[in-house]
Amino acid sequence: MSGELTRPTSTNAEGTPPAETRADAAPVERFVFTPPIDIYETDDGLILHADLPGVTLDTLELQVQNNRLTLFGRVPEVVPEGARLVHQEYREGDYLRSFILSDNVDHDRITAKLTSGVLEVFLPHAPKAQPRKIQVSGS
Amino acid sequence: MRVFRLGHNWSYAFSDLEREVDRLLRGVNLSIQGLRFGRQYPPVNLYELDDEYLLTAELPGVRVEDLDLTIAGGMLTIRGSRQPDGASDESRFRRQERHCGSWQRSVSIPDRVVEDDLRAELNEGILHIHLPKAPDEAPRQIPVSGK
Repeated sequence: MSGELTRPTSTNAEGTPPAETRADAAPVERFVFTPPIDIYETDDGLILHADLPGVTLDTLELQVQNNRLTLFGRVPEVVPEGARLVHQEYREGDYLRSFILSDNVDHDRITAKLTSGVLEVFLPHAPKAQPRKIQVSGS
Repeated sequence: MRVFRLGHNWSYAFSDLEREVDRLLRGVNLSIQGLRFGRQYPPVNLYELDDEYLLTAELPGVRVEDLDLTIAGGMLTIRGSRQPDGASDESRFRRQERHCGSWQRSVSIPDRVVEDDLRAELNEGILHIHLPKAPDEAPRQIPVSGK
């Protein structure tokens, strides 16, 4: 099976948080990263894993709108006040990525869970449409 | 099996090629990946507070039981692994950007710390290691003898 069941969109921009979060966000500029993901097939659908270290259930937004699945994970500040950075190899920031879902994903049955900074989203196959008899009336 | 975080859009352009290269490198020691990207895994940040140092590392999906911390002679070693949580069959992957496998990282601590009082926690995939600073010793007078 190939094609475009779930393909990342090219518009998940870095550096621009979604508009709705920008208004109430702190004036401090934050990095927005594209998290690494795995997508693989199972018999029942697709499973997506995304690495979102630091994101909690409260700070994760996962939404499906039209055909687009968007994940936005905010990383709360965890370093205590007054800590002085003496060595830095990674930057803190938030995570944003979105995907176009194909029609054979059952949008209503998508489930997700977050464990130790890894998000797992299950995208079940939509049931095949049953053939429907159409009554033909004659005069 | 990629060891760095995707931070740029342009990486999409290369992702398929990289996936192929990553596939070739699979099974090869992770240190080669470190060489390839010129940085060590996992990346760490070090903070200094009044009474302690705080080392943080992003380790999503690593379980506590798969993590091993040791300290000796001012050298802190973090060793761990991440189990693959995907399909066992490679061909079922549509996209594979997350890495798994084992790694090891040693960090030298810049100051004297109380090695017995180290404390670490792993929450939401972020490791915090608290290294309490050793109190300053009182200066010790050294008697000088002479004739």
